[in-house]
Amino acid sequence: MAIVAPGKRYGKRIEHSKVLSHAGGHKMLFADLNVTPLVDMFVILVLFLIANFSATGEILSMSKDVQLPEAANTEELVMAPVVVVSKEQVIVSGTVIGRVDDLTREDYLNIPPLEEKLREMKKQFEDLHNAANDTGAFKGDVNIQADKMVQFRIVKRVMFSCASAGYGNISFATMAKGEEKKTETASR
Amino acid sequence: MAGGMDLGTGGKSGKKPLDTTINLVPFIDLMAVTIVFLIMTAVWTQLGRLQVSQSGNSASEEAPPQTQLQPITVLITEKELKITVGGAQLDPMPITRDDKQRLEVTRLMDKLKELKTQQPEQNAITLSTEDAVRYEDLVRVIDTCIGNQFPSVSVSPASS
Repeated sequence: MAIVAPGKRYGKRIEHSKVLSHAGGHKMLFADLNVTPLVDMFVILVLFLIANFSATGEILSMSKDVQLPEAANTEELVMAPVVVVSKEQVIVSGTVIGRVDDLTREDYLNIPPLEEKLREMKKQFEDLHNAANDTGAFKGDVNIQADKMVQFRIVKRVMFSCASAGYGNISFATMAKGEEKKTETASR
Repeated sequence: MAGGMDLGTGGKSGKKPLDTTINLVPFIDLMAVTIVFLIMTAVWTQLGRLQVSQSGNSASEEAPPQTQLQPITVLITEKELKITVGGAQLDPMPITRDDKQRLEVTRLMDKLKELKTQQPEQNAITLSTEDAVRYEDLVRVIDTCIGNQFPSVSVSPASS
């Protein structure tokens, strides 16, 4: 004999009739979707992404040719021209300045095309800011994004060219590692 | 009922119904668009910078102020690191590398700490680097100097 829950038991004919059913014995057409967990998840996700938002991607674009060295005591990157020194070539704002192999063979202290390009960029910057009556905006910041395997003989020439062109505030771009990362650039 | 508002048209008393629900659809749309935008523009690699100056290329062309501090220079070669304080050269430190081929800087850190205790006012250090030295090694030494309270790092080519 089957086990049934205690309570009133109707006959089969009455159970199938409209007397006991809510909507004529059919399933309801309106179903509510509980969106509260979805909204909660979205809010947490948005907060997490905003908290971790970083604008450094606009300053440096990472490429497979350039593997940056790691450093712990770094500051935040500043918006400035970027000189990319990969294992094969030196590039400034998309313009190839020269091949690393050729530059290694030369004995000059500077890289004339790089210096020329940087002077041109400095002039453009100053013209733009002079037109807006914003003199003194040029601080001579430049970022060097060099591959970690590049020899100092190339970096030295890049640094000298930057300094000669008026970009004296040289920064080496690095991968920030660890929790020792400083964020004190606001005070600078 | 999610997605709509119960107007509560029933009842004859004319009172405002209490069981209203907020329409969450525009909110969810906004959230979805924001999340997609933030994920697309997110930078997953943390980048930083180490500020250096080029020794001997001072923009102001002024002579350095006369102080009692002894200048500290680290000569970086492919095989060793040599620290010079004033005119005195300390024992050279042979370069050793870890399993990832990174420069071991433990001894350099100890030396720099020692020098900092001797000259607490000294913030400047000059790194005289040979041409064949890898950029990674130079950055590691700069990082070590900055981490040991020598924030003003100058880089110069080693005189051959």
